[in-house]
Parts: sequence; C-alpha cells; structure tokens
Amino acid sequence: MEKEKISELRGLMKTRLNRPMRYYLDLCTRCGLCYDTCHVYQGIPKKEYSPVGRSEVVRRLFKKHFRLSGRLFPYWGDAAALDDAVMDDVYEAAFSCTGCRRCMVHCPFGIDIPHILSMAKLMLIGNGTAPEELVMLADMAVEKGESVEVFRDGFKENIRNLEKDVQQRLGLASSEGLIPMEKKGANILYVGLSGAHSIVHPAVIFNRAGENWTLSFFEGVNFGAFAGDPVKMDLIAKRIINEATELGVKEVVMVECGTAYRILKFLTGEHPFRVSSIVEVIHRYISEGKIKVRGGAISEPLTYHDPCQLGRNGGIFDEPREILAILALDYREMSPTREYNWCCGGGGGLVALDNEQFRIKSGKIKKDQIAATGAKIVVSACENCITQLGTIQTGYGLDVQVRSLTELVSENLDI
Amino acid sequence: MADDIKVDVTMDLKGMKCPMPVVKVSQQIKKMAVNQVLVAETTDPGAQADFPSWARSSGNEIIKTETEGGVSKFYIKKLK
Amino acid sequence: MRDTLYYFIMVPMVYLAAAVFVAGLFFKFMNVMLSPRIKGRLGLFPRRLPRAAGVLKDAFALPPAFRKDKVFWALIIAFHVAFVLLALGHLELIREFAFLQIIPHQVFLGAGAVGIVLIAATLYFLFRRFRTPWREISVPEDFILLLVLFVTMIFGSHMHLAARYGIAGFDIPLEDYRAYLGGLVSFKPVIPDMIANSPHYIIIVIHIFFANLFIMLFPFSKMIHSVFAFSALSLKRK
Repeated sequence: MEKEKISELRGLMKTRLNRPMRYYLDLCTRCGLCYDTCHVYQGIPKKEYSPVGRSEVVRRLFKKHFRLSGRLFPYWGDAAALDDAVMDDVYEAAFSCTGCRRCMVHCPFGIDIPHILSMAKLMLIGNGTAPEELVMLADMAVEKGESVEVFRDGFKENIRNLEKDVQQRLGLASSEGLIPMEKKGANILYVGLSGAHSIVHPAVIFNRAGENWTLSFFEGVNFGAFAGDPVKMDLIAKRIINEATELGVKEVVMVECGTAYRILKFLTGEHPFRVSSIVEVIHRYISEGKIKVRGGAISEPLTYHDPCQLGRNGGIFDEPREILAILALDYREMSPTREYNWCCGGGGGLVALDNEQFRIKSGKIKKDQIAATGAKIVVSACENCITQLGTIQTGYGLDVQVRSLTELVSENLDI
Repeated sequence: MADDIKVDVTMDLKGMKCPMPVVKVSQQIKKMAVNQVLVAETTDPGAQADFPSWARSSGNEIIKTETEGGVSKFYIKKLK
Repeated sequence: MRDTLYYFIMVPMVYLAAAVFVAGLFFKFMNVMLSPRIKGRLGLFPRRLPRAAGVLKDAFALPPAFRKDKVFWALIIAFHVAFVLLALGHLELIREFAFLQIIPHQVFLGAGAVGIVLIAATLYFLFRRFRTPWREISVPEDFILLLVLFVTMIFGSHMHLAARYGIAGFDIPLEDYRAYLGGLVSFKPVIPDMIANSPHYIIIVIHIFFANLFIMLFPFSKMIHSVFAFSALSLKRK
C-alpha cells in the first residue's frame, strides 16, 4: 500500500476518533465474554466473526497508527500496520456485522462494537472497497433529496393509484385524499419505503384512526449509515428532517424499519418534532380506542422477532407484544428474547448485498430459535428483518410464514 | 411508442422488498454493454423517485417511463 | 553496584512510577476530553434502574459476566474485592489509619488470605487464556500483565506470610515498612537498616520492581478499564 493511501486512511480513522471511540478502543480487556454472543459466530464459529475478533481488527490498526506504544512496541498489543491484506480483514469484520449490538448487551463495559466498526466502514470507503451496492444506494438517496422536482409528479401519480387500493380495503366510496401529501400543519409525517405495502397498510390504519397525516416523498431507510458514510447519513436524514420542519408536523412516524427509526430518534440530535415508530402509533391508537383489531383473529401459533434497532436499541418491546396479544390466540415467546434476542442477520444493509449463502449460515441460530417455538407465523416490524427471515425460511425450508406487524393489523382491523 | 426502442433485457421487479429493485437493476446493468437498454417493471410507488435518482447518480439514462394499471416500466439506457 | 541498583528500584524508580502513573492518567483523560463528542445517543434498552444506580450495578456486580459464566464471575469479583483490600493494606504500611482499624486487625487485612485469593484468581485468568477461543483473542499484553501481577503478588505475599507466620529469619517489623513507605510519601526517603541488612532484601526489591512496572503500565494498558469502564457504562444508559 502506498504512503499516500496509508496517510489518507489514517486521516479517515482520525475523523472517527470521538470520545466514545477513544475509550472503547482503550478499555477492552479481551475478557472474551462476548465471543459467542454474535449470531454470525454461532453460524460460522471463526474468531473473525466474534465481536472481540471484529473490534481487534480496528484496535490493532489504531495502536499502530495512533499510539506511541504501538509504534515502538507493536509486539505488546499485536499492533498491525495498514496494508491491503489488513483491509480485507477490515471488510470481513465490518460487513459481516449487522450492527445489532447484542454483543454490547453482553459486554461488562458496554462497549459498542458497531460504533468501533463505523471506523472500519469509513476506511473501506476511503480504500474504495466498500460494498458498491450500499454506496450506490446511498448516492441515489442523496440525489433524491436534491431532485424532488424531477420525480414529484410521477410519484404523486403513483400514490393516487395506491389510494384506490386503500379505498377498497376501507370499503369507501371515494379514494379522494386517502393518502395526503405536502399537507402543512398535519399532526404526522409518515415516512415509508419504496414498496407499496409500506404505504398502503399504514394508510389504511391512519384513515381508520381519523388521523391528520401526510406522506413523505422519501424513504425512511438510510443507506448512508449502512455504507458507513457519516456525511451521506446526515444528508439522507436531513431530507426527512427538512420536510418535517417545513410542513410543521408534530410527529414523524417511521415505517417498519429499524435503522430509519434509530437514526432519526437517537443519532441525529434533537428535533422540533417527536419521532415514533409505526408500531408505537398503532399501539397508541388501540389504547386510545381509535382503532380496533379483531381479538383472537389468528389461531395458528405465532411468535414475534424483536428487530434489534427497535428492541434493544430503541426500547420498543412491549408495544408489539401487546398488539399481538389481542390478535393471536397462541402467542409464543422466543428464547432468549427481548434485549437478548438473536439478530436475524439482515441488518446493517447486509440484505442488500449479494451474500445469500452467508446470510443463511449466519441465520442458523435464528432458525433454531424459531423452530423451537413451534410457531407457524413469525411476525416482525422491520423490512430488513422480514426479508432476512424470508431468506432463512426458504434457506432451511422452515414451515413458517413471515409477516409484518403493520400488515397483520391492517388486515385485521375491526371495521 | 416502445417499438422504436430496442430492449435488451427485461426485469420483473414487482412486489420486491426494499431496496431490491434498484440493487437488482444496478447489478444487471453492470453486465450489459454501453447503449444497451434495460426495462424494469415494478409496482413500487417509490420506484418513481428511486430510478430517476439512481440514474442521475450512477450515470445512466431513463429514456422512457410508462405506467399502466399500477405497473411502471422504466427504460434505462446504459451510458458508461 | 548492587546497592545502587537496589536503591534505584527502592526509591527513584518508585517516584518515576508514580509520576508516569499520574501523568499517564492525565494524558489519557485529556485524550478523551479533547476529542469531539458524538451527536447522538448510544444507549441500550431496557433501563430498569435510574442511570447512576444502573452504572454502579453494571460496574460492581457485572451482570453480563454473571449471566454467562458463574465461576469466571465469582473470580472476577473476588479478584477486584481482594485488590481493594490490598490497596487498603498497603495504606496501613504507610501509617496507621484509625478508620481502617474499625475492625481491629494485625496489618495486613485478611491474614494472608487476600494475597492467596489474588494469586489464585490471577492464575485462573492466565490459564483461561491458554485455551481456545480465549487464546485466539488474546494479545501479548494480556499475558504479560497477568504475569507481572503474578510475580508482584507472589513476592508480596511471601513477605507478608513469612513475617506473620514467623518463617525463620524473616523479621522485618511493621515499623520499618512504615519508615520506608512513610519516608517515600513525605519525600524524605530512607531505607531502614532492618530492611537494607535483611537477607530477604532482594525479595522486597523484586516486589517493588514489579509493582513499579505494573503502576507504569497501568495508564497505557488495558488496566485503564478501571477508569473508562464508568464512561462507557454511563454512555450505555444515556
């Protein structure tokens, strides 16, 4: 690796040396309590897929390039210099991690290993070896924020088509205004994804609840964050923040997408609006009596998969369970569950990559967990999880149906 | 009409989960030659925003868009 | 020559170690404080306890270790409790502290058990690392620190046990240790004759040498976890 490249990569590392990064890199004792807490390690028991193994890849580079002790006595901490082979390890560590932070729950010091890997991801961008799909999707999302005028009319026309679907589901006479857009002063700005299902079902629920809402032009998911580019992450999030501020909404409601929710709620500072997940909103409507779901509508055994970004990283544990307790006659909890739940293996943008065999292997523990419940329906509330659970289902020939919580609610509304 | 456009590849992306339509198209177009044309058929409303933005940021061109019965067709020409 | 070396280890090196320790901790602290804050919050859920109480529970009861490996957890707790008792014991080697004599005891606390517990735990931590998968995730630092601790503790324990249980000839009284350490603390260093002329002087020198080494390594090694653990645990609950 040439000198210029090394100093460029070192410069990128330096931009990520924030306070937590400093102490996360210094304080790990390699106690090893985390080593098998990663679902990838469970499926493929290699040191490189253990949380400590992943973070050591970055830590060794940090020691060599930022610590006098690492430069003078590399032996002491096994410090490693930047070169092409190391960058392969960096890729392996960073893009096999879903950012679920299950390891953080098991770390006695609470070290956020995905935060350490954010440095790895930025280095890969600098090295030109970041996954091109994620970089491409991030660029597309940024471009979208700059060219609303180009697609405004086409997009709105498509939404008019969806309104007919919503109208049918609600049994109404007219489809007029069922999916409002650009509505100033609405209570809620709802942010969906590209797929029709991510707009139609919430629209049914909002209309049934008589909500004053409006639909965003943008998708919630943040590929800048998946790619590990903090600048693009901010630009992508800003699209929604600006839209919400211009419309003067009180609340931004995120589609079933863990990343979208966590980034807007916890990783982009304070906002003049409240940030909620669609799951919280459904729960609120039910407790306030604004919508009613059919009690015991589902008789087959059913289980819930906590999306990592909603559950341990977002604090939404009880709401989905309380909704499902009404809908399902036979609800079964996975073990372990809640903050200890195993990641399905789809997070961190991994579902967008060409790595299906890897994701089937790393989903083994999830497969075992689902099979152990005997459930026939697995419900989740995150598009990534649902895609990956589908991959696990087909990959292992599991006899289950994967369903989205919002869809289940929308289909089982008591009219 | 579409008759005067020679289509090299047609992809059915209807009902795919986020973000697969754009990913699949982007992978496919890499395998194609410059000036070849790919047609992406999708039912995603978001595609109306995704494909034009993707084309602008990746240096491809959407030469034509058709919408019929909820299905959108994007004619994408590989430029580089 | 030998006297000079011994004196160097017993006096100047102790001051050097203390200086490196203080300056090192200050450097590490500033290193963090001068780095930019992060914009967001990295907290985990659920949070059943108020933040401060949660941090204390996480730091001192180590729930993740308890859930995972009860033997390891018991030894970690035993090690850290013994380490605190050991520090208090060394305070009593400087001078008498009334608050430490609330439960009257002969110096050291624990009648030798503290050192034994520490040595046993240190050996456990060391032997644990010889095995897969902990062997693969260990770096030289992990082994060397444990060895430095082990050697320091073996010799320290020897000094205490031999004096307390009257091993022949090991008769350095408490007053002489207090004269030595008290002298160091008050910047009037002396090495009392009872120590300097003892046939066991070498054992004290080795103990002090490795203790100095450990103290100097402290800020620059993973031992910094004793400080930064609180920062990280606090962030986990923000």
